[in-house]
Amino acid sequence: MITAKGLYKRYRKTVAVDHLSFDVQPGVVTGFLGPNGSGKSTTMRLMLGLDHGEGQTLFDGESFTDIRRPMNKVGTLLEAKPFHPTRSARNHLRMLASANGIGDKRVDEVMELVGLGTVRRKKPKGYSLGMAQRLGLAQALLGDPRILLLDEPTNGLDPHGIHWMRDMLKHLASEGRTIFVSSHLLSEMQLMADELVVIGRGTMIFNGVVDQFVREFTQSTVIVRSPSADGFATALEGAGAAVTKGKDGELVVSGMEIGAVGHLAFTENVELSELSTRSASLEEAFMSATGSSEEFVAAEPLGKTPAAKTPATKTGGADNA
Amino acid sequence: MLDALRYEWTRLTTLRSTYWLTGIGVLCALAIPVIAGIAVSDQPLDQTTAAAGLNGGAAFGIPFLAVFMAIIGIFATGHEYRHGTIQPTLTALPQRSRLIAAKILVVSAVTVAVTVFSLALNALTLLAFWGDVPGLFEDPLRSALVGYVVYTLIYTLSGLGLGLLFRGVPSALVVIFLAPLIIENLIFGLSFLPAADWLVPVVKFLPFSSGARLMQVDMTEMTVPGMPDFDYFGRWGSGAVFAVFAAVIIAAAWTLFKKRDA
Repeated sequence: MITAKGLYKRYRKTVAVDHLSFDVQPGVVTGFLGPNGSGKSTTMRLMLGLDHGEGQTLFDGESFTDIRRPMNKVGTLLEAKPFHPTRSARNHLRMLASANGIGDKRVDEVMELVGLGTVRRKKPKGYSLGMAQRLGLAQALLGDPRILLLDEPTNGLDPHGIHWMRDMLKHLASEGRTIFVSSHLLSEMQLMADELVVIGRGTMIFNGVVDQFVREFTQSTVIVRSPSADGFATALEGAGAAVTKGKDGELVVSGMEIGAVGHLAFTENVELSELSTRSASLEEAFMSATGSSEEFVAAEPLGKTPAAKTPATKTGGADNA
Repeated sequence: MLDALRYEWTRLTTLRSTYWLTGIGVLCALAIPVIAGIAVSDQPLDQTTAAAGLNGGAAFGIPFLAVFMAIIGIFATGHEYRHGTIQPTLTALPQRSRLIAAKILVVSAVTVAVTVFSLALNALTLLAFWGDVPGLFEDPLRSALVGYVVYTLIYTLSGLGLGLLFRGVPSALVVIFLAPLIIENLIFGLSFLPAADWLVPVVKFLPFSSGARLMQVDMTEMTVPGMPDFDYFGRWGSGAVFAVFAAVIIAAAWTLFKKRDA
């Protein structure tokens, strides 16, 4: 288990991480989300004592810098390609392993595990980003640790590699390990993570299970198809629901539960050909939650409204979280 | 601490640059007795020539081996930042002081071993040409050779400290080459001018020049008409000036390393 308390980091006038506290539970994959520049990497570096700041992080009750042979307890992957270009991948791992009492046999094992067995004696300067990420994961797994802390591990991986990484992390979590993984690939996180820590501008936006996050930051809508759509729309509005018409003529109903919509159709004697709920995606929830805390906002194409900010305004955004 | 030493040993021995830098340094140092043997082996071998042959010309101001070992020292710390390996290093070995202590110990041991090996190789070369190296195990040649080992070690540790201080390779290389070649020579030259005679007492505190006195066979000062009296320290006093310089750099770099973000 990871327990972070009051993590705080300031770069001159900019507060990068603002008193973050959260727990990462074992047995599940916990995703760490936030827009670019929100302080995810800085938070991870603070947790590992690489950056100096305030607060404390305990890994199964111990501070990282107090752990003797930490790779046997906490595996980390922080930055793509942190390798000396002329040292072979195997020697890179041997070097780190030697500081943690890990033998060469384990080095070869993890290289096979991540699919780099055939290129283990090659120099990482010839590795693609995806291969470098696999080597980074091999590094994290060297000591067979109970806790993994991974910063954007799917960066540069092809779809097959992403699928492999997702399965690997879920498998490791199923063994009771604590997995804390940051990613900007929300669709990936939706498939991978069970719990989320979401930050924006260094402050906590959400900490809990994925479904709760989606529920909290989005509004589910009810889709209705009916031969008497126009008349039923009037009835729905009369009952207090907000109704808009979709591209294919379906009614998109918000502000009313699906059960109530069905009951109204029954009492109004309206024939329905479809009655379903459209759940928001993690991406929509993320945009809604972090829209106002995006640090680097690109200009929108002419004639378009800023996508990130609109939902934030609608739901109250990060400040209300 | 043993883990840290194992780490640093593996780091050093898995880098190709360690081997080619050591090899070039030893070969350059070896070139001096070979050239001397070819050129003047028909003349008797005096102690100054023997010292220059043994230390590979270092006493004449060309410390080949020390320079190459200093680059290894710079790489020991500077490479970690240049290639971003400081992050995996500190996640494998988060106790920063232990890491630096291990780097100093391993690099020092390798430097001393390589320097002694180079001395032995050069001694064999002199023996091959002259058949004898007179006074090899007697003072002042013995002290000059011990001084050479100490000089190379301090030079290397200065490089290690500079690499850590500047968190990179290029700045450290510039300082380690510019300081002895340009800055110290400039101060030494200017001290001859009456208008800059206030520099005279400073000269004996110039670290690299003082360090070079560790390797001298004849410690009496060269006297040239008009030359100021620099009142140099003795062999070990001058060596202490060089050692203090390296210690200050390492202490500053060590302190900053503990305070800075990785």
